[in-house]
Amino acid sequence: MTVEQDCVALDQFPVGMRVLAVDDDQTCLRILESLLHRCQYHVTTTNQAQKALELLRENKNKFDLVISDVDMPDMDGFKLLELVGLEMDLPVIMLSAHSDPKYVMKGVTHGACDYLLKPVRIEELKNIWQHVVRSRFDKNRGSNNGDKKDGSGNEGVANSDQNNGRANRKRKDQYNEDEDEERDDNDDPSSQKKPRVVWTVELHKKFVAAVNQLGFEKAMPKKILDLMNVEKLTRENVASHLQKFRLYLKRISGNQQAIMANSDLHFLQMSNGLDGFHHRPIPAGSGQFHGGAAAAAGMRPFPPNGILGRLNTPSGIGGVRSLSSSPSSGMFLQNPTDLGKFHHVSSLPLNHIDGGNILQGLPMPLEFDQLQTNNNKSIIPGNSMAAFPSFPSTQQSSLPNNNSHLVLQGHPQASPSAFPGHQINKRLEHWSNAVSSSSSTLPPPPAQNSNSIMSHQFDDGSSSYSIPFCDSTIPLAPAMDTNPRAFYRTTDLDSNANVQPGGVYYDSLQMRQSGNYGPTTDALLSSNAKEGFIVGQQKLQSGFMGAEAGSLDDIVNSTMKQEQSQGDLSEGDLGYGGFSSLRTCL
Amino acid sequence: MELVQMQKSLQDYTKSLFLEGVLDSQFLQLQQLQDESNPDFVSQVVTLFFQDSDRILNDLSLSLDQQVVDFKKVDPHVHQLKGSSSSIGAQRVKNACVVFRTFCEQQNVEGCHRCLQQVKQEYYLVKNRLETLFKLEQQIVASGGVIPAMELGF
Repeated sequence: MTVEQDCVALDQFPVGMRVLAVDDDQTCLRILESLLHRCQYHVTTTNQAQKALELLRENKNKFDLVISDVDMPDMDGFKLLELVGLEMDLPVIMLSAHSDPKYVMKGVTHGACDYLLKPVRIEELKNIWQHVVRSRFDKNRGSNNGDKKDGSGNEGVANSDQNNGRANRKRKDQYNEDEDEERDDNDDPSSQKKPRVVWTVELHKKFVAAVNQLGFEKAMPKKILDLMNVEKLTRENVASHLQKFRLYLKRISGNQQAIMANSDLHFLQMSNGLDGFHHRPIPAGSGQFHGGAAAAAGMRPFPPNGILGRLNTPSGIGGVRSLSSSPSSGMFLQNPTDLGKFHHVSSLPLNHIDGGNILQGLPMPLEFDQLQTNNNKSIIPGNSMAAFPSFPSTQQSSLPNNNSHLVLQGHPQASPSAFPGHQINKRLEHWSNAVSSSSSTLPPPPAQNSNSIMSHQFDDGSSSYSIPFCDSTIPLAPAMDTNPRAFYRTTDLDSNANVQPGGVYYDSLQMRQSGNYGPTTDALLSSNAKEGFIVGQQKLQSGFMGAEAGSLDDIVNSTMKQEQSQGDLSEGDLGYGGFSSLRTCL
Repeated sequence: MELVQMQKSLQDYTKSLFLEGVLDSQFLQLQQLQDESNPDFVSQVVTLFFQDSDRILNDLSLSLDQQVVDFKKVDPHVHQLKGSSSSIGAQRVKNACVVFRTFCEQQNVEGCHRCLQQVKQEYYLVKNRLETLFKLEQQIVASGGVIPAMELGF
């Protein structure tokens, strides 16, 4: 049972999900509107981007999802995408007749949680609700780390959550609760209507000192509370503050060190604005991160993030999270990476309130600087951060491990998202960036479960389900042919393996794979050289493709088959042919 | 019965459009979206398409007739036409647009002119066919009949 399914069962969602559709072409808009209605969503349309922004600004909570065309006369769709992600933190789906991978990449790097090609098919639209679920889930998951619903909530915070079914269930519960909380616009997931505690600098100092003393990883609200020794502060207050703090750290990790120094203030601003969390604008640091990372590189952390965002999310996260077995390792990996990178950047639209909206800090770099100079003194600059670096740094190390790292990418295939084939191709593109940029670790294919999710959810269309994807993948295929190798999956072989999250991932990946792709993986892993790597990648990729098939036999067979036809596979084929053939195995 | 014959004609006619590639499965999707709550959906959308396309084709003619052709203006139009034609299932129009765009990229004025002609031709063809289709449908409805659902079998 997947989280999404649980959530679906929970309330009427996705029926009635509120979508804002933007497209200057009235024909397409009309069709889109009808398709969305057919999916039982609640639809609002506009043919102007400006109007769309107004609608969104007028009421933050009026919409769950935005679908926007890319080419619009009054405003570039990507710009709208950025703004929506920044200001409203809503998931945005791009729509375009441009199948050119460059556009797709652009969409992803600007934070789109999906990119659909025109003509839009209803099958694709039937899936889009998952982006809403996922974005909330991610936000909650961040807050999950700090949340102690039961005493076990704190174990290996960043790590354990994603590890297993138990964590799944816990997260599920957490999600459910948070889902309600969010809908109530209640920023404190652990309490209902208690008087709000204002976390002053002093209070936060104590908090940080307590956390430092306990050790970041081991810090538990009860203990923190005891150490802080503050009257009228409840465990819940501390718990939620810790949660936010952790989330905050994750967001800023992998980022400017400068911010670390002022993180206390930064953090406080965020949490106190807590409304700040809900609303906005916060310190530049995070804004810088976003701005810098995104703008500057869109690049370094971004593409992988983008990939993560795009690919992981729909498939990886959605699919993987739902699993309770081996893919947990993928999830595990995913989490820090995701949260580190994904959360930060690609999940722009997905960052939610609970975790504090770094993105919204973008407009205010100056302010922050001023604050910085003023308040530096009163804050414990390095200390708190020092205590926490273990966490973020592990993330970092698992993150863009620099160009030498190639990252193993899971196989998002199985995701229920609209476009698996499309994803593959896109992913392939992304990898060319990933190869040259930093690592983005992705979960191993969720295989069975996600497939079953898919078939569960889209039974009627399951066989035809793949078809639209195939169609959509075709345009991308040619682009791939030029440089197939580079597109191939990258595997993280280096130090990452030793890094906590990466390491675990790596190990479990190995473990998981050893049964299936033993020789391939080993060859890959042992080579550790780019060339051997890339060659191996293809196999690995094939192997992953195989994983989708949902059975060992299929996996082995497809692996072998694909190994044999390795040379023949073009990206398009790999993504498309292999995919669809495997699919039908299901 | 006349009604039955009309319905049969409609089906055959529609089928032929698909077989000729004038329309593709996207059009089917549109038809499927039409229901009691949305009874004139297809004709509404198609009407919108005609309006948009007439305008675009006009703009394109003007742009290409300029002394110095501004391809930066031409391309978005073609792109939009491609998007809308693909959305309603006007396959041949869409295909013509695809070719058109490659000539735009190459900044080949001569080629673009030819493409525009091609696009126009395909457009008028599909327009004509669809109008006939709607007439047939109207006749059926006027005779008290129901428009038969299109089989996907072909």
